[in-house]
This record gives sequence, structure tokens and C-alpha cells, in this order.
Amino acid sequence: MSSDRRLLLFNLLRGAAAIFLALLVATALIFLSSKEPLTALKYLLLGPVISFKSTGMVFNTVSFLTILAAMTPTIFSGLAVCVMFSASQFNLGGEGVIMLGGFVGALLGIYLKLNTGLHQVVCILAAAVVGGLVMLIPALLKVKLGASEMVTSLMMNYIIMFIILHFLNFTFADRSKGATQSFPFEATAKIPEIVSNGTKLTWGLVIALIFVVIIALFMYRTKWGYAIRMVGINQSFAQYSGIQVGMIIVLSQVIGGMLSGIGGSIEMLGRYNTFLWRELPGYGWIGITVAILAKNNPIFVPLAALFIAYLDKGCQLMSINSDVPFEMIDIIQAAIFLFFAAEQFLAKYRQRIVVRNAQRDLALQEAAVSREGKLS
Amino acid sequence: MEQENLVVQMKGISKVYPNGIAANRDVNFTLRRGEIHAIMGENGAGKSTLMKILFGLEQPTSGEILVNGEPVVINSPNKAISLGIGMVHQHFMLVPSLTVAENIVLGMAPTKSRVFVDYKKAVEIAEENATRFNLRIDPNAKVVDIPVGMKQKVEILKALVRGAKILILDEPTAVLTTQETSELFKELISLKEQGFTIVFISHKLKEIKQITDRLTIMRNGKSMGVYETASISEEEISRLMVGRDVVLEVIKDKAQPSETVLKVRDLEYTDRWNKKMLDKVSFSVRKGEILGIAGVEGNGQRELVEMLFNLNVPDAGTVYANGKSLIGMPQNIIRDQGVSLVPEDRMTYGIADIASIEENVISDRFGEKRFNRGPLFNMREIHQESETLIVDYRILAKSRKQQVKMLSGGNIQKVVVARELSSQPTLLIADQPTRGIDVGATEFIRNQIVELSRNGSGVLLVSADLNEVIELSDSLIVMYGGKIVAYFEDTDQLDDITMGEYMLGLKHQTEEEIAKVCYE
Repeated sequence: MSSDRRLLLFNLLRGAAAIFLALLVATALIFLSSKEPLTALKYLLLGPVISFKSTGMVFNTVSFLTILAAMTPTIFSGLAVCVMFSASQFNLGGEGVIMLGGFVGALLGIYLKLNTGLHQVVCILAAAVVGGLVMLIPALLKVKLGASEMVTSLMMNYIIMFIILHFLNFTFADRSKGATQSFPFEATAKIPEIVSNGTKLTWGLVIALIFVVIIALFMYRTKWGYAIRMVGINQSFAQYSGIQVGMIIVLSQVIGGMLSGIGGSIEMLGRYNTFLWRELPGYGWIGITVAILAKNNPIFVPLAALFIAYLDKGCQLMSINSDVPFEMIDIIQAAIFLFFAAEQFLAKYRQRIVVRNAQRDLALQEAAVSREGKLS
Repeated sequence: MEQENLVVQMKGISKVYPNGIAANRDVNFTLRRGEIHAIMGENGAGKSTLMKILFGLEQPTSGEILVNGEPVVINSPNKAISLGIGMVHQHFMLVPSLTVAENIVLGMAPTKSRVFVDYKKAVEIAEENATRFNLRIDPNAKVVDIPVGMKQKVEILKALVRGAKILILDEPTAVLTTQETSELFKELISLKEQGFTIVFISHKLKEIKQITDRLTIMRNGKSMGVYETASISEEEISRLMVGRDVVLEVIKDKAQPSETVLKVRDLEYTDRWNKKMLDKVSFSVRKGEILGIAGVEGNGQRELVEMLFNLNVPDAGTVYANGKSLIGMPQNIIRDQGVSLVPEDRMTYGIADIASIEENVISDRFGEKRFNRGPLFNMREIHQESETLIVDYRILAKSRKQQVKMLSGGNIQKVVVARELSSQPTLLIADQPTRGIDVGATEFIRNQIVELSRNGSGVLLVSADLNEVIELSDSLIVMYGGKIVAYFEDTDQLDDITMGEYMLGLKHQTEEEIAKVCYE
């Protein structure tokens, strides 16, 4: 096995070990706090895909499809964060932009009259454009004034949320309903389910997976993705090399905004009938978790999103069926983060691999040099 | 009697770093109580390493240290402090967001009921010591707001408050203005009168002559001897400091300079500490020649290179490459003019460390048509380019996909050189191109630079390595204190002694002689 591959394998194993250890921590806590720890664990670990019946355990297709459906928006937000973090832009505005994307998609879904097919495309594209434009704000503030994009984008989330709520309350509300919500979307704007069984697993997931491929190609096979990554690794190097750093910083955030906007609109038109988000939907935050688990590599985003969706579902079931509260998910996530982020975790073993590789390389080089020497 | 007076004796100190560089070779060093003792030498001569060993930051490979006649093992700065040794680093080790008083008592802060920091007491301690040692500071100011000169005093006070009797100052005047320097000297002399012993690392002759009692000269990791300052001339010091041990020869044909490719006129720059780093610098580089810039580091060479590549903006003056002004131009435009740069700080500017070799060698050309097919990269062309460069520039690596930071220093530099030279520049700026790399890579890179110039490119070579700059350059200018102080049209007749005198500011040519480098 080549040494590079061995390091890659090591990294994968390390990720798995981090997750395993985090679950061990969770297990310990469950045993400490719960009167029925085994039931709690059963639902946490197996519940999302298995139903427990008196006759035995059965694979629960519906529940599994629900998990897949829950992945859709977090794949988009995860991709958005991947692109922005790759340029070392710690933009946390995905949350607000997803809500805005949902709102823009919803409005066009309600008030535009178009044929189905075209209608969805127009809604999604509009959400992408608006998302990209909004992300120009933290990006330009950063490039022109040096304002930290982390602070401005974080604050922007709430500004966006309250502006949306204002218009929802005073302009677009359906007064015939008891709760504040918009009028229903036109049927032509709805994103259809893949299987119509109420799981709301829509073609949005397929679009999300297509975007995974597009973004992976963009980041590793185009000049823009290359520039984004170089700016992220070493901005001084990028500038000295002649890369227009300011433009790339803006580009990464605009793309992040577009992806968030698309994700928001697909989520809204796929899983809802009217716009009724009264607060930030939370997908943007999950996107950060997903991107960190995927180490900013778009290819790993679906895997990370699946894992988070599974964990979320497991914690839900555990809190319904046992005395362990749903908040356990925060502890598990925090523990995973801790082990993931800890560079030193298993670093000794990694160092041994590196040293061994280096020694072997040196030996090979020396052999090659002495061979050359003999030839000449 | 003599023995009693020696507070520090370092005997036969050798230090080999893990990367194989022998920084100290059998060095002997002694300190008398109450003297100001200079350690002189060029960059890389081993001065700092020797003092780091004394302060416990580095462990000697072999050798013995005696403090007050007792053999000691100094394995940490804490141990050094407990022995009464304090060090003021060239780059200050202060917490910018804390006040002066807080910095001074950091780690030994007086407390109220053992929990809360007694800030009032801290200020008292700071003020008391400031008065006692005659070092004027403002204990309540935040370190981030105070000038460099005061930061240095804070550093000195920090050491004194911790009970230091021996103070090591690492190039204390490098960052100071003239006024601050003379103030520092008064303070140091007053400390000496109070019985403190001071080690003063520097390569500035005039200062050394002014305040030190004795001096130790280092070159290439070896001590060149200890002298009473009063009994040695500046010329002799300079000869001992910069003389060449081995004369290295580079074989090259006579230069055939043609038209001017780089024209620099009246460049001026004052840094943010109000130090004049460039003072009316004017020169030209012609195609087909290598113009060297010699000088001890810190005399404006770094700033000059930054201005040429728009990594910094001058206060006044012009820079033209091939007739086009470079000042304020983005780097892609500068590169379009055929200018390329091997930067001094290769880890900051030269490479993206966790990216692959391939990604590093295409950073200036990835947008070119041949590497793109529609919106996508043409990976085949990119692979081919990187494979070719790895072979042509003899980069020792497992594959083009290897992370650059996994390579040795010499091979990292070859990655930079491969990119900067293969773009066929009309002007190459090479700033310390072979610093800190192995002999093989050094020779290879030097030959590449010569070849480039003989194929008609202009080369501006900046190097603190006297050997390199004399042997490689066709003609040469010397910088001292932000000015060009000498121009030599031909480097063949140059010797170290003459060079040393110009580099250390003992001599300078007339303006007419220097102006010849403008070729007008």
C-alpha cells in the first residue's frame, strides 16, 4: 500500500475512532443518568432504521427515507460552508440565507404562474441569485473595510430573519389562518416526492447529490476552486502569485450564498406547503458541523450529512421512548467535535507513519543516487 | 583573582541542530562581572544560538557551562532566571493587550487573598523598579499602544524584576531609532555602573565601539577570538566578521548587458516605527547581467524588494519594469511584465505548505489557456507541466502530489525557483535565494540563476552571503542604513576587506560614483 493511501486510511480510521469514542462518552452518560439505559441506547443507535415489534426487529423503510429527506438541506448548507471555509472565510451567514432562500422560493411559488418544471427552476434560481447577492454584504465589508466576516455574517442572520418576519406579518400573511403563515404554494412550484409515501423524500436529494459532484469538480478541477483553496491555505502566497485575493474572497462567499439559497428554496418547496418559518431553521449551523466532519471536502459532505441526520433521528426516538432528553445530541456532537478537532488525537501513531515513510524515502533516494553514481 | 571575576564561562560549546546545521563549533565564551560584552557576527554566525544555550532555550550538543565558577546544566529559561540570567529577545515577548505593569509581573503577580491580582501593587512594583534602574515607563499604558523603545524597556525591566544580574540583549538596536538607541545606551551604562553584566548581540560596529568593554567575534559557528574593544580597530573587526573561509567560485562568461529592464529612482520609505529604511535609492538593472545587492541584513534590502513587487508601498520614488510603472500594481500585472521573485521568506510568500508540489508550481500560471479546457482544468497539461518542472529542477519528491511542507528546505526552495525561473522572466528578483539550504541545492540554484541571465534576462540578486553576492554578481551595489553606499562595476577585483568596510558603514563612495549604477 502506498504511504499516501495509508495516511488517508489513517485519517478515515481516526474519524471513525472519534465518532466511536464520542458514542462511548454518550453511553457512559446514559448509563449514569437513565433508569432504562438499554432502551435508550437501543433507540439511539438502531431506532432510526429499525422498528421494534413484538414479533422482532424489522427494517423501517419509512424512517430511513425520512432520514434521507432530512439530509437534503444540510448537504447544501454543508457544501456552502465547505467552499467558504476552504478560502478561510469563516462566514456563518448560511443560516439566514437559507431562510431567505426559502422565503424567496415561497413567494415566487405563490405569486408566479408558470408551468411545472419551469416554475421550480425559476424559484430555485431566484433564491440562488438573492442568496449570492446577500452574501456580497459580509464579503465586501471584509474586502473593502477589513470587517470580520464572522461577525458581520452572524449578525446578518438576525437582520434577515426579522426583515422576513416583518414582510410575512404585514404583507404576505394569509389572514384566514390562525397562525402566521403565507398563502399556499402553487402546485406547479412544488418539488415532487420520489416515492409518494409521505416521507417527503423529494427529488431535492437528487439535485443535492448532483451539486456535490459539481462543487467537488469546482473546487478541485477549476481555476476558481484552485484559487479559493490557495487563498485559504496561504493568502500571502496567493497574492504574491498574482491571484486576485479580494475577488476570490468575494467569490467564495457569493457561491456559499448561492448554495445556501438553493438549499433553502428546495427545502421549502419540497417539504412545506406554505411558508411558516418563524425563526432561523437551523440548517446553517448543521452545515458547519457537516463541513467540519467532511474536512471541507465536498465528496464527504453527503456522508457527514447522513450521519448527523441519523444521530438527530436517534436522539428524537430516544427522548420519546426513554427518559433520556433530546439534548443528549448536543453532548454527542460536542464530543465528536472535540475528538475531531484535537489534532493531537492519535498524533503519535500518525507521526510514526510519517517518520517511517520519510526513512524509507531517504533510503530509496540514496539507493537511486548511488545507482546513478555507478552508471555515470 | 581573575577566575572570581568571571560570572559566566562557556567552554567548548558545540551545537548541531536536528536538521544537521552545526550552529556552534567548539566555542569558548567568558563574561566578567560588570562588563558590557558584545557578541558580533553576521547573520547565521551562531551568536543567537550561543546565547539561547546560555538562556536554556537550546541544549548544547557538547560543552560545559560555569556560572559563578560552578558547573551548571541550564535546561530551561526558568533555570537560567534562577541563576540570575535574563534575556531580551529581538522580537518582544510581551502580551499586547495587557498593561506595562501587568506584563512586568506576569507569572509572578502580587495577589490579594491569593486569588485576585493586586493591580495596584503591580503598578507599585513596576514604578519602584523603573525608578531604581532609571528606565522611564508608563505602567498603566497598554503594551499595544507604546512605542518600540518603551517595549524594550519593559522587557529589560521584566528581566530585572525577576532578579537577573546578567542581561542578554539580542540585537537590541535593530528596531530602534537613533534617539531611542542613544537613550538605551545611557540606560545600559547606568545598569553597568550598578554592577550588572550585559551581553550585547549586534553587528553594528559604531555602537559596539561606543559602549562595550570587550567583544567576541563569531563567524560560521566559530569564535574568532575575544578582544578588548579599545584595542581593536573597526577595520580589523570587520575583517574578522565578514572574511571568507572558503572562496567559492562560480563559472560564468562575461556579462553582455543590453537595455535596461528595471529602473528604480529615488525610492524612499520610512517604516511605522519611524525608521528610514530607504533613502533615495536609485539604480537600474540591465538585461543579461546580474546586479547584486550586498549588505548586512536590515539595511533596507527587504523593504526594497517589497516595493519592487508591490508587497509594500514607498513614500516616494518610481519603479519601472520594461517601461511600465510597478508601484501600486497588482501582482498579476507585475508578473505580466515578466517580473518574477524568489522571495526571502519562502514559507510565507513562496509556497502554500499543505498544498501539493503540483499546486505550488502552477500558482502563477494556472489561468493560462493551455491549462484550461472550457471551465475545467486540463489536468493532463497540468500534470505534464509539474512533472517536467520536478525533473528539470531536480526536486526530490515521491510524486507531484506530495505536500510541499514534507520536503526538505532545499527542495522547498527548488519548488519556488522552478516556478519563478520557468516563467521565462525578463527580470528575476532573487532575495536570499540559497539561505539555509544544503550545498547541492545551493549550487544548482546559483547555476540556474547564471544561466537565466546569460540567456538575456536581468537579475537582481539580494544576498547577505558575501560569498554568493561577489561570485554570482556581474556588478554590485552595497546598501547601508537604507542608502546605496557603493557601486562596483566589476566584481572580479573585489575583496572581503573592502566590502566589509562598506557593508558596516565605515566607508562610502561619492554620489557621482554611486550614480553610475543608473547607466544614464
